[in-house]
Amino acid sequence: MSEYLFEMRDIVKEFSGVRALNGISLSVRPGECVGLCGENGAGKSTLMKVLSGVYPHGTWEGEILFDGKPLKAASVRDSEAAGIVIIHQELMLVPQLSVAENIFLGNESTKFGGVMDYDTMYAKAEALLARLKLKDVNVAAPVMNYGGGYQQLFEIAKALAKNARLLILDEPSSSLTSAETDILLSIIEDLKREGVACVYISHKLDEVARVCDTVTVIRDGKHIVTRPMAEMTTHSIITAMVGREIENLFPRVEHAIGEVIFEARHVTCWDVTNPERKRVDDISFQLRKGEILGIAGLVGAGRTELVSAIFGAYPGRSEAELLLEGKPIRVKNPEQAIKAGLSLVPEDRKRQGIVPLLGVGDNITLATLSHYARGGTIDRQAELQTVDTEIKRLRVKTASPELAIVGLSGGNQQKAVLTKMLLPNPKVLILDEPTRGVDVGSKYDIYTLMFELVGRGVSIIMVSSEMPEVLGVSDRVLVVGEGRLRGDFQNVGLTQEQVLAAAISHAAEGPAHAA
Amino acid sequence: MHSQKIQQLFVRYKILALLIAVALIWVFFHVKTDQAFITPNNLSNLFRQMAITGMLACGMVFIIIAGEIDLSIGSQLGLLGGVVAILTVNMGWGTWPSIGAVLVLGLMIGAFNGFVVTRMRVPSFIVGLGGMLAFRGIVLYVTGSSTIAPAPDDLIALGQGFVPPTLSRWIGGVIFLALIGITVRRRVRRGKLGLQQGSVWVDIARLVAIGVVMAGFIRMLNDANGIPIPVMILLALLAVFTYVSTQTVFGRHVYAVGGNMEATRLSGVNVGRVKLVVFAIMGLMCAFAGIITVARTGSGSPSAGTGGELDAISACFIGGTSMRGGSGTVYGALIGALVMASLDSGMQLMDVDNSWQMIIKGVILVLAVWVDVLSGSNRNG
Repeated sequence: MSEYLFEMRDIVKEFSGVRALNGISLSVRPGECVGLCGENGAGKSTLMKVLSGVYPHGTWEGEILFDGKPLKAASVRDSEAAGIVIIHQELMLVPQLSVAENIFLGNESTKFGGVMDYDTMYAKAEALLARLKLKDVNVAAPVMNYGGGYQQLFEIAKALAKNARLLILDEPSSSLTSAETDILLSIIEDLKREGVACVYISHKLDEVARVCDTVTVIRDGKHIVTRPMAEMTTHSIITAMVGREIENLFPRVEHAIGEVIFEARHVTCWDVTNPERKRVDDISFQLRKGEILGIAGLVGAGRTELVSAIFGAYPGRSEAELLLEGKPIRVKNPEQAIKAGLSLVPEDRKRQGIVPLLGVGDNITLATLSHYARGGTIDRQAELQTVDTEIKRLRVKTASPELAIVGLSGGNQQKAVLTKMLLPNPKVLILDEPTRGVDVGSKYDIYTLMFELVGRGVSIIMVSSEMPEVLGVSDRVLVVGEGRLRGDFQNVGLTQEQVLAAAISHAAEGPAHAA
Repeated sequence: MHSQKIQQLFVRYKILALLIAVALIWVFFHVKTDQAFITPNNLSNLFRQMAITGMLACGMVFIIIAGEIDLSIGSQLGLLGGVVAILTVNMGWGTWPSIGAVLVLGLMIGAFNGFVVTRMRVPSFIVGLGGMLAFRGIVLYVTGSSTIAPAPDDLIALGQGFVPPTLSRWIGGVIFLALIGITVRRRVRRGKLGLQQGSVWVDIARLVAIGVVMAGFIRMLNDANGIPIPVMILLALLAVFTYVSTQTVFGRHVYAVGGNMEATRLSGVNVGRVKLVVFAIMGLMCAFAGIITVARTGSGSPSAGTGGELDAISACFIGGTSMRGGSGTVYGALIGALVMASLDSGMQLMDVDNSWQMIIKGVILVLAVWVDVLSGSNRNG
């Protein structure tokens, strides 16, 4: 009998020839909490999908042992039956159903072969919530009456209802306030004492340090280190997470940086569903003419919310004072933002960037269509001429500008969206994850274009989760963490460790500054 | 292999498939009714019947492309028709001032619906459902639930009259020459820009086909007194709506809003305004349809236009408009309306029981959309 409840050995997972996971091993003892750390894209979620049966047995190589016996899960149901339950970053509750109905969803207590046995369900739900030290919850009330912190705990109750012996928590605190996180962590400590094992995935290393007994760091799909938490420090975890040289992928061109051209003051955004919580909390910064300002931070830190609030596109309540060339500008919607001289290339190309069925050319001119029109009628010739020039300039690979954009590769779609937002001649260009899902060649083209633009005096704000990109392209780096400004660095001798440390640092320390 | 090519052809030229479907329906009825279907008089009636659904479909196709729906248009038609009858019959207004007033009223009703959808953010399905009841209620109230007759002669002429045959020939000739001009200019421009060109023969074949169809259409209807005025109005609307949808900033924005509202909004387009205008245009089309309904029947009936929304929506979907929004054509919707009108007319000639007429139309709507789903299943989005 093994001392481990659960072991993964030499897991290899390939996606059309690309190794997302390359020989990763992970073991958990009963009552132990293992922290799983790695940068965005290191392979954490892929590993968890293998573990929880989303990728069925046989689609990956390696071995999973549970209770010493091989586990060959064909689906999530199989792994749940064995006692492995994953709690996703986004809550998976049905807001309109009651707390008890959610806890037992797919697992309901019934009588007479199909009638819901509410009395039993309510009693069981109350017992589960008592185990989580949750009082004052009406298990018959809809889940949406409770805040994000409660909902996260309902998820845990749901997992316990399935007799979870191994609980996988994926960024469980990303939508919680710090007080709520505190409760969550103490409940995990209780569960450990009851013998439940956990895998805790988080960027927030202070949380990992508090609840985890062991830490495993992965990077680029490879296992880097597994050690008892007692032997690790936050710094050594960060070094292990980053630990790679930046290759020279960035065609950096020296360019002059001028006076302050744009200023954002007191940008604040409130969560759409949880109006108590601030997603961005009073961030102010300045941008100079011809400057590339990188905004770094962990996923969910509030970077996208920050830039969409500036562009007038944040879906919830937001406040901001903006100054362009010293004059205050009013931006309540993207139309006003573009008129004022701001452009935004959004993060999610498919959802926010392209109109899939329209042609490549029609997509490119969408933001500036009235420039080619007289009396509302489009001058096709003028439009197609612009499209043609731009397609050649940015090397967008398409057989014809009239083909639907959805057929293009991610890199070419991104170039088209970028072109669309450049045609209004913005003074400030905001790029949110400009190279996400883009091939290396197109990345290079996009960086080249960025340096060309700053050379012409355009200022760029770039949100990026890829640390090498932030350091390879930016003149200055802002670090955002938990909705606050955590650092403002000139990118001179700046290291990934410094940026990551600022991103993870606790709020109390205040913004860091480097010479 | 061969069948795949044919399938591709149909996906590309969906319109071709639809026209073939219309031809098959006509031949079927022609055989079944002892050669009574494809006659100048019957087709003249058929086109006249189709004109009202066609007008509604012109507006509806924009609404559906923009990703919305409007269920209230049958009741709007009834209300606007009722108002034109009251103005001319009860209040003694002249025909043309009444028509002008009703067109403006239609525009305002549509804009109001659009306002509720875009500014008050009530889903258009609900706004339509509410409007369907409320507008019908208003018609019953203002007409006192009774038919208003007789409409003045100059109004009736609009619905029952014909365009003089010689004028039709001239109009046809001018349109044909214009089409040749547009095609040539398009080829020259595309050549200048180095864009992909279709083969010259395809263009010539297309022009010849259009010319033959137009000549046949005019000649046949001239054999039966000429082109009915409502049909001429519909053809003019077809030209205007096709122009708006393919050549104007507004038209492009309608497709963009329906294709991806979020991306369009982030491109600085005022998506609310685009939708509001689309609803206003729908109201205007209801006014056209309402006026022609009164003109055709010579009276304002409180039940006019009942079920009109279903015919118009069916016409759009049969004509290849995407249910998810973002794609569709005006001429497709009109051919869809022609399919529906042909079924109606043919089954009436065959003396098919009303119950079977409804069953068959329902089945054909579902079948047509199913075929569309099959042929488009390889498409993303």
